[in-house]
Amino acid sequence: MTRRLNANLIVGAALVGLVVALALVSFVWTPYEPTRINAGVRLAGYSSDHLLGTDRFGRDVLSQIMVGARTTLFVGIVAVGVAGFAGTPLGVMAGMAHSRWVSEGIMRANDLLLAFPALLLAIMFGAVFGASTLTAMVAIGIATIPTFARIARSRTLQVMKTEYVLAARAAGRTRVAIAMRHVLPNIAALLIVQASVSFAIAVLAEAALSFLGFGTAPPTPSWGRMLQEAQGLLRIAPRLTLWPGLGIAIAVLGFNLLGDGLRDYLDPQLEDRR
Amino acid sequence: MDRPFSRVTALATAVLLSLAAACGAGQTADPQGGNGADGGEQEGTELTVGFAAEPANLDFTTTDGAAIPEALLVNVYEGLVKINQDGEIVPLLAESWEISDDRTVYDFRLREGVQFTNGEPFTAEDVKFSIERVQSDDWTVSLKAAMDVVESVEAVDDHHARVTLSEPSNRWLFQMTTRIGAMFSREGVDDLANEPIGTGPYMLDDWVRGDRIVLERNPDYWGDAPGIQTVTFRYFNDASALTNAMLSGGVDVIGTVQEPETLEQFESDEYQVIQGTTNGEVVLSFNNGREPLSDVRVRQAIKHAIDHEAVLETAWAGRGELIGSMVPPHDPWYEDLTGVYDHDPDRARELLEEADATDLQLAFRIPNLPYAVSSAQVVQSQLEEVGIRTKLDVLEFPARWLEVVFTNHNYDMSIIAHVEPRDIVTFGDPDYYWQYDNPEVQQMLDEADSAQEGRRDELMRDVARTIAEDAAADWLFLLPNLIVAAPDVDGLPTNRVGEAFDLTELTRG
Amino acid sequence: MFLVSLLLASIAVFAFMSVLPGDPAQVALGVQADPEAVAQMRARFGTDRPLVVQYLDWVGGLPTGDFGTSYVTQAVIGPQIVDRFLVTLWLVATGMVIAVVIAVPVGVVAAVRHREPSGALLSGASQVGIAIPNFLAGMLLIAVFAVHWRVFPAGGWTPPVDDPQRFLRGLVLPAVSLGLVQAAVLARYVRSAVLDVLRQDFIRTARAKGLGPYRALVRHGMRNAAIPVVTVLGLQLATLLIGAVVVERVFVIPGLGSLLLDGVANRDLLLVQGVVMVLVVAVLLVNYLVDLLYVVIDPRLRRGQ
Repeated sequence: MTRRLNANLIVGAALVGLVVALALVSFVWTPYEPTRINAGVRLAGYSSDHLLGTDRFGRDVLSQIMVGARTTLFVGIVAVGVAGFAGTPLGVMAGMAHSRWVSEGIMRANDLLLAFPALLLAIMFGAVFGASTLTAMVAIGIATIPTFARIARSRTLQVMKTEYVLAARAAGRTRVAIAMRHVLPNIAALLIVQASVSFAIAVLAEAALSFLGFGTAPPTPSWGRMLQEAQGLLRIAPRLTLWPGLGIAIAVLGFNLLGDGLRDYLDPQLEDRR
Repeated sequence: MDRPFSRVTALATAVLLSLAAACGAGQTADPQGGNGADGGEQEGTELTVGFAAEPANLDFTTTDGAAIPEALLVNVYEGLVKINQDGEIVPLLAESWEISDDRTVYDFRLREGVQFTNGEPFTAEDVKFSIERVQSDDWTVSLKAAMDVVESVEAVDDHHARVTLSEPSNRWLFQMTTRIGAMFSREGVDDLANEPIGTGPYMLDDWVRGDRIVLERNPDYWGDAPGIQTVTFRYFNDASALTNAMLSGGVDVIGTVQEPETLEQFESDEYQVIQGTTNGEVVLSFNNGREPLSDVRVRQAIKHAIDHEAVLETAWAGRGELIGSMVPPHDPWYEDLTGVYDHDPDRARELLEEADATDLQLAFRIPNLPYAVSSAQVVQSQLEEVGIRTKLDVLEFPARWLEVVFTNHNYDMSIIAHVEPRDIVTFGDPDYYWQYDNPEVQQMLDEADSAQEGRRDELMRDVARTIAEDAAADWLFLLPNLIVAAPDVDGLPTNRVGEAFDLTELTRG
Repeated sequence: MFLVSLLLASIAVFAFMSVLPGDPAQVALGVQADPEAVAQMRARFGTDRPLVVQYLDWVGGLPTGDFGTSYVTQAVIGPQIVDRFLVTLWLVATGMVIAVVIAVPVGVVAAVRHREPSGALLSGASQVGIAIPNFLAGMLLIAVFAVHWRVFPAGGWTPPVDDPQRFLRGLVLPAVSLGLVQAAVLARYVRSAVLDVLRQDFIRTARAKGLGPYRALVRHGMRNAAIPVVTVLGLQLATLLIGAVVVERVFVIPGLGSLLLDGVANRDLLLVQGVVMVLVVAVLLVNYLVDLLYVVIDPRLRRGQ
């Protein structure tokens, strides 16, 4: 098994790196306080004072984009975290369970959850708990659980048939030990790939939710809400749409490419089949 | 309901509900059609007007919200009186009226030859029926309490109705210009939610939920036929979509501009932009009933911390007027109070120091309406400058905001436009959501309602000044009436001081 | 099994919606209505009954299309949902057609030419397409085609029976913004499915006999490539139904999504519950149909059963 870097991986990592860098830098430095309103410079164009101009409140767009990157990553991390940490054990359990009832039960519940797409779930959550970044990302995370559970289960089923697992079972190892030592390491690669792809989906979902007013509440900068605020100004100040739009596109593209690249990198046999 | 403030309370509720998403309430024009109605000859003229908030249904007797009377009052339903562009009460279905010396008996002479769109003639019996119906359980909206002061209604003859009040009330006749004064047919109230029947110049032609209401000229109208044959109200729950519809020819008029910063796109010969005044005071409301805003010094500090001009400039593109109290300039008791608290951050910090409130964290709970969201962010940023931190919560309007802020008073500050005319009376209600309990104000308001006009204006002026000085709330600005229209549309209302979007004056071409 | 899922889903939806803060009776009456009136209204709405009874009452009506009567609009919900759902279906179906029409050729060409720059360009383009949110696509389409060129309306809805031509014109932009992004997703799956097939022996044989790659595919490979694509189509149909919520907002289309958002804003509990239920049923149904379709497309599965 030779692992080699591929174009997807490099480009994907670079784009994701860009977003991460923006977010990290924003913790220590932004050109301006992103939420600081300045009536004197409303809707200013590109200038050396405001590299990306200002919005209709006179807030610095670059600062907002930088802090918005933070929101985007935050949403992705929590959503994918929720999905991964809940979905993976469920999938592994379903794959390893001796009892048909357990495995069937988990997978049926999974199918049921699959009927609640992220956006729908998030709107319901927003209605009940109020719109916030937290409710949005938890909802997106919960809606993504089935994806992880399915992948974890099908891969676990394969792993359970391998000789070393059969040997371990014959040797009387507990199921938890088998899961930790043999199953998880073997399904990790696929899960990492899925995490990257799910991350991209979460970013898109958060943007859509913020656009609808069910996501990140003002004044916290969010790319989705920036787009929503820019909507009416598309003709007057197109740059207000351009930059957050570009941010979302770069993040989504980056995570998708990274996912593809990782798949090829971590699991070269798969490459032939693609 | 003889508690002194029941009426006030009810009014106030309606105020808030009616501010809905369409931040203006309604407009009115000259009553008798005047010169605008000569377009009656134009057959087949059409006009599409875009609005933000759609009516939930067509029954304003049981459903609150500004959108229903906006579309139906004056156009489909008519009252005995209506309010004109200058905020004056003028005749409509009543040709004239006399008020007894003790100001409790109103004799209305009704217009003859009027009929409802179900074919029934309009008579004094309908006046009796309509007013008594407001007092019955059939009406459920809280605005109905304004009719409590009516003791009896008598149909003296077919065209003479006599209304007796239990005590003199300046407010009552004024309230008769709103939806509670609408005249209903005794045979026409079976399905108000879907089938409005009135005496107005228009009748309902079609209603596509979630999209539009189509009004068609009433062929049997008693007065001059309105200039436009078919008027379509289209509803856009998204401000930008409405702007786009105007830009792409999807609507002929934007009834209420929700994004004034987009107006520069319309400043050309292809469009006309109309700016007038409304009753919509955008209030930064304080919860006077709980710490820390129960301390007048904290409230004063907030008022000193706010740069109102910057708020207006940033939140509403500088369109609108600054007001210093709960009185729009067209009310008879208006007085310029904008100077009571000037922008003085240092003074604000001092006051906070004095009040020992240097580490404030306020719950700033606002509705998700465009003007509120943008104003709140500006206010938040300005308060930060003097060290007041706020936690901004954007609540869905109407449901969640009404529940959390309005009903449960679970907030420190909020922002909402109060669009009901003469709504300063809400400061006389200690249970109202700003929890302002000042016996002096309450007493003055009560006295003003039954006082003669001169005395009334004096008392109201005092009330306005008192609440301003006492920092019972902060008034960010007065919403402008902003309309964008195709250049060939004439007769649009410059000011919107009533509940209706009056279509009777409109013409095209 | 399908029915059990439906039942469970209905319980989940109902349970969740009864958590919603906000009392419909209070909202309907305006805020400072007196408690007695509110209690009366609750009795009229039936929200004073035990939850189980309310649930059974609600779920019992569903099979006959009885979703109850809205607390807010006082209108019967069933017909409203049907009307709005039809609108959304038009939008989704058209979006789907657009997606397929774009994605299949793009995916096939990208696969056949996967070693050439043109193929790489196509797959790159589809990657970028995936990264654009559909509402942003909608905003841009409006700016260009509605506001600037004025060739299509910026939004709104004309029922097909009223005016077929206006209906179609109004449908173009929203359907394209919905379909374009899905096309990008779909194209990638078509590409990898076709790549898979191209590597199969029978295609190699066919090509060795002198058939061009496209003809070989059409004659032998399409059925095989269709299976994964149909799966994805099914999943996408669900995505499109939900994605329509956003697009309907951008284009002010009175579909199910607008109804849902309005319902949430008005705290119209029953309405929201009904809309969510319809969407969930639709998603379940689509997944179920996809499972059935496999069997039709792939004879091997048929034999296996």
